[in-house]
Amino acid sequence: MGRYLSKKIAIYLVTFVFAVTLNWVVPRLVPGDPITSLLARFSGLEGGKEILQSYFVQTFGLDKPLWSQYLGFWRSLFMGELGISITRFPSPVIDIIKNAIIYDFIILLPSIILSWIIGNKLGALSGVNKTADNFLMPVFYFLTSSPYFWFALVVSYLLGIVLDIFPISHAYSAALTPGWNWIFIADFIMHWFLPFITMFLVQLGGWAIGMRNMIIYETNTNYSRYMESLGASRRLIRNYGYRNGILPQVTGLAISLGTIISGGVLTQVVFAYPGLGYTMVQAIRQSDYFLIQGCFLFLILMVLAANFIVDIVYMIIDPRVRHSYSEEV
Amino acid sequence: MRKRVALLLVVLLLVTSSSIAFAAPERHETLVVGGGPWNPATNWNPLYPQRTSATIGLVYETLFSYNPETNVYKPWLAKSGEWVSDTVYEVELRSEARWSDGEPLTAADVVFTYELARDNELPYTPIWRQLSEVKELSPTKVQFVFSDPSYQEWQVELYSRPIIPKHIWKDIPGDQLLVVANENPVGSGPYKAGEGASDRIVWDRDDNWWANEVFGQPQPKRVVEMIIPENNVALGMLMQRTLDLSNYFIPGIPAIKNSFGLNTWFDDAPYMLQANTAVLYLNNQRPPMDDKVFRRALAHAVNPEVIVERVFEFMVPASDPTGLFGGWMAYHDPDVAREYGFSYNPEYAAQLLDEAGYVDQDGDGWRDLPDGTPMSFEIIVPAGWTDWMESIRIISDHFRAIGVNANPAFPDQSVYENRMFTGNFDMLINNYGATVSGSPFTYWNWIANHNIHREQVTEGNFGRYDNPELFDLILEFNKVLPMTEESLAIASEIQRILLEDMPAIPFWQNGMWATSQSEWWTNWPSEHNPDGYPSTWGGYWQMGGVDMLINLRSTK
Amino acid sequence: MAKGSFWKRHENLYFAVTNKKVLFGACLFTAILLLSIIGPYLTPYEHDEFAGPGYLPPSKEHWFGTTLQGRDVYTGVVYGLRSTLLVGFLAGTIASAIGLVVGFISGYNSGRAADEGLMMVTNVFMVIPSLALLILLSAYLPYRGIVTQSLIVSATAWPWTARAVRSQTMSLRSQEFVNLSRISGLSTFRILKEDIAANMFSYVFMVYILQFNGTILASVGLEFLGLGPTRGISLGLILQNAVNWNALHLGMWWWIIIPGLLLTLLIVSLYFINTGLDEVFNPRLREL
Repeated sequence: MGRYLSKKIAIYLVTFVFAVTLNWVVPRLVPGDPITSLLARFSGLEGGKEILQSYFVQTFGLDKPLWSQYLGFWRSLFMGELGISITRFPSPVIDIIKNAIIYDFIILLPSIILSWIIGNKLGALSGVNKTADNFLMPVFYFLTSSPYFWFALVVSYLLGIVLDIFPISHAYSAALTPGWNWIFIADFIMHWFLPFITMFLVQLGGWAIGMRNMIIYETNTNYSRYMESLGASRRLIRNYGYRNGILPQVTGLAISLGTIISGGVLTQVVFAYPGLGYTMVQAIRQSDYFLIQGCFLFLILMVLAANFIVDIVYMIIDPRVRHSYSEEV
Repeated sequence: MRKRVALLLVVLLLVTSSSIAFAAPERHETLVVGGGPWNPATNWNPLYPQRTSATIGLVYETLFSYNPETNVYKPWLAKSGEWVSDTVYEVELRSEARWSDGEPLTAADVVFTYELARDNELPYTPIWRQLSEVKELSPTKVQFVFSDPSYQEWQVELYSRPIIPKHIWKDIPGDQLLVVANENPVGSGPYKAGEGASDRIVWDRDDNWWANEVFGQPQPKRVVEMIIPENNVALGMLMQRTLDLSNYFIPGIPAIKNSFGLNTWFDDAPYMLQANTAVLYLNNQRPPMDDKVFRRALAHAVNPEVIVERVFEFMVPASDPTGLFGGWMAYHDPDVAREYGFSYNPEYAAQLLDEAGYVDQDGDGWRDLPDGTPMSFEIIVPAGWTDWMESIRIISDHFRAIGVNANPAFPDQSVYENRMFTGNFDMLINNYGATVSGSPFTYWNWIANHNIHREQVTEGNFGRYDNPELFDLILEFNKVLPMTEESLAIASEIQRILLEDMPAIPFWQNGMWATSQSEWWTNWPSEHNPDGYPSTWGGYWQMGGVDMLINLRSTK
Repeated sequence: MAKGSFWKRHENLYFAVTNKKVLFGACLFTAILLLSIIGPYLTPYEHDEFAGPGYLPPSKEHWFGTTLQGRDVYTGVVYGLRSTLLVGFLAGTIASAIGLVVGFISGYNSGRAADEGLMMVTNVFMVIPSLALLILLSAYLPYRGIVTQSLIVSATAWPWTARAVRSQTMSLRSQEFVNLSRISGLSTFRILKEDIAANMFSYVFMVYILQFNGTILASVGLEFLGLGPTRGISLGLILQNAVNWNALHLGMWWWIIIPGLLLTLLIVSLYFINTGLDEVFNPRLREL
């Protein structure tokens, strides 16, 4: 068990170093520099741009040699500094991320957990009930095959514009000031609903299909037959199947976290929901290197943390891992 | 389990949908706009060009405001201003003017604002190349003494420079001037910085604004600028009535305007005011684009009406051959435009190319250089700029129709800009410096900027067209009193040279995109109500944006 | 009688062609494939020309209607389908190939340094959120064609395949016939090729299908963010265009629903084949 965990942690550390390095290298391979692009969008008196340009280059340390920039990057990383945003000057990137990441949590956590639980239950139902299966399976397939953004658009159009039930964008109404009152909370939930339901439904299909197949597989194993011949109820057998099916589903969760978070990025863009993904896309469109780097880093940290939690959950529910570190898949 | 979830959802829905109605009262006092800022508010420093854009106009004010539609300079902080001699400009300030902390706004503040740029390196420091002194004659009277006045540029300066309070900024050290974020800015304008969020910027009305009696009080108690990354979201919000004014380019407005009750400046085509000229830059350093006959042939080859119809659905018109529009038209010379201008005429374009020897020599269907070298061109615009992407597809088609092998390409914006600045392109569309202003000097100084002999060209003339005679004329135009006979004569000469040489081709106008709905606010500026300018873009609040806020009426 | 023995020898094939899910999926997939092959010959228009007025709903002249600018949606869709299938094919192949090679080598050498190293790399790539990496990479490549895009997409798609193949290889490796081969002195490569790969053919096929789907979805997501190919046409680019030009809000459902649905159907059809094959190769699943 100790070996299992330490090995996992080693993997996460390597991933982190890799991600940080990649994160640092890629923006510097770009032709052109962000400052010139930034300045080109101002018109004004002649000569003013040169003054600003030299000022910017110094402020953001872009005139230092590369190796010193790289070391500085790590140094400041450990001090919790991710640099200063160019487009949101002088906000530190870390502050921007702090404000954004809460929106990722409130969309991702409930949608991942609820879709996993409900998806597994529905999949189990579909696995044992032929009538339900005929109806549910095409729905599951449809959901899991939909690109996130396409589904988000359709949802936003139908529930937002045609039926006019939910607001289609941003985190809360323009006329409100955040506060702990019911009006604000209700308004906040209304704005949260569409991105949440999009993430929830698209994920749901995948879990349901996985569990359905797992249940069918398990209920047809020899030991199930054996139990059945001993007179065990179908319900009992199904429960056994469900419990055996859960394990691969937990592994599945770990594998698909990256994809889910990517889906979250797209969903946030469609609903202008100000989480990390949305911030990152905005930063990319404006070549704000430090902000792109910060967002990317935190997206990876989120996946790493989630993976770690899944690992621990897996360890708790799978007795085999508890005793020896065998195979992961 | 599922039942419980379903029940919870239903209850949630009921609670929330009923509570939305309670939120409405504040909505009647809130104006929700979108299209100006791309980032939340983090900086209210009037000296820093990347500040939250509405800081100028809503919080800090300028001496004059300028309405590009009527071409009228409206005295704002100033009561009046005039050239009292060839080198002295005198401004009389309004005695009512106050800072939001109650201190009076006086001539000392104006002098301070300019001397700050003399004593420190600020973006507007170059103004001191022409200024020699700024004098406080009395608390309400300022004199600008020039050594080498640039009259045209000065006109733009009058409505661009925010006046800042001396009693606050005098204590800030020189190296901090550009760095401070200036949270809780003390300005003289009608709004104060409010509590925003990562997806919006909030401005709260200052009920004690000094000009409430002079200009009238702005109606919205709060202005919220929503940050909307996609134009389809802006349209959805207009339809949902959660956005009052959109300054985004939204395709399809003409088609659904009436059925969804949306307002535009003109009831019918062209629907939108014009904001800037989209220009096709030709790289004059690459043959055959160094040949003015070839450039003029290209100008005749494109039918901009197709772009206007297919891409913009008649929301904007094609450009005048001179590229001038709005207030600049005061300098427009119709005779020159008629004689030297261009219009869609592919036969004539082909004839020009034939005569100059640009014919197909190797039989591949494309024209070659006179020496037989094949030619092909790439036209670039940034990926994702959908209207421009469509436009250059059309332009390429029209070039190909006369045998010029041109292809559209869409690099990412940073790459596009890098290639533009370093001169590493064949052709591209740009408009960065062609934005409406108080003087055509800004346009000419951009399209034919003299500062081209360096590695990075960022101030215009991206095709690096080299014509010292024209450069001198443009600088001379700047140094002559506006709207005099001499000034008009120089303007005509500039237009003639630009049309004859065609270093860059103006094809169509980009719109001052403005679409509003009247669920919460009415009396929007329009052709029937031309007081004010429906723009929330950065730099436009003092160009009629604040007047719009004053004239709006709540529907309640 | 000969026919009977054919089916006997190819029992799995028999179950495959009689499996309803496989049949349904295969028919649907073939139909879509045919559309992409024949479709372009049935339209009088070019995909980038103005074929008529804008805003036209589906009609006899324009089967899938026209776009806001007046391009023919049908023409765009059939040409775009070709590229999308090509991306799925290229990226799916690359991702499956990397995953298979890494998985085989790792699984065959399980426990040794090669395995540890490869699995480390695999796990690193698995944890990095694909879209975030893709965004990062794409944003800095000035021009991107279909091949570039396929490479980018497949770079982050292979890890799960590698892991799955590795464990499959490990379980096969410990089986009798592989040990026999080893004792009889066959080279590692031949063992991998003849014993293990051959026995995993069905599995590989299903992996390929899933990779095909996954890479198509990933590239469509990139295209939506404007980070897809900078030239050419694909279903994702049509969707992106439709979104940018407000197709849904302006009531031009045909411009956004038809390509979106086609994409979804393409993926669904492959999922059906995959599930069906699962039942074929795992006889226990068949009996429901």
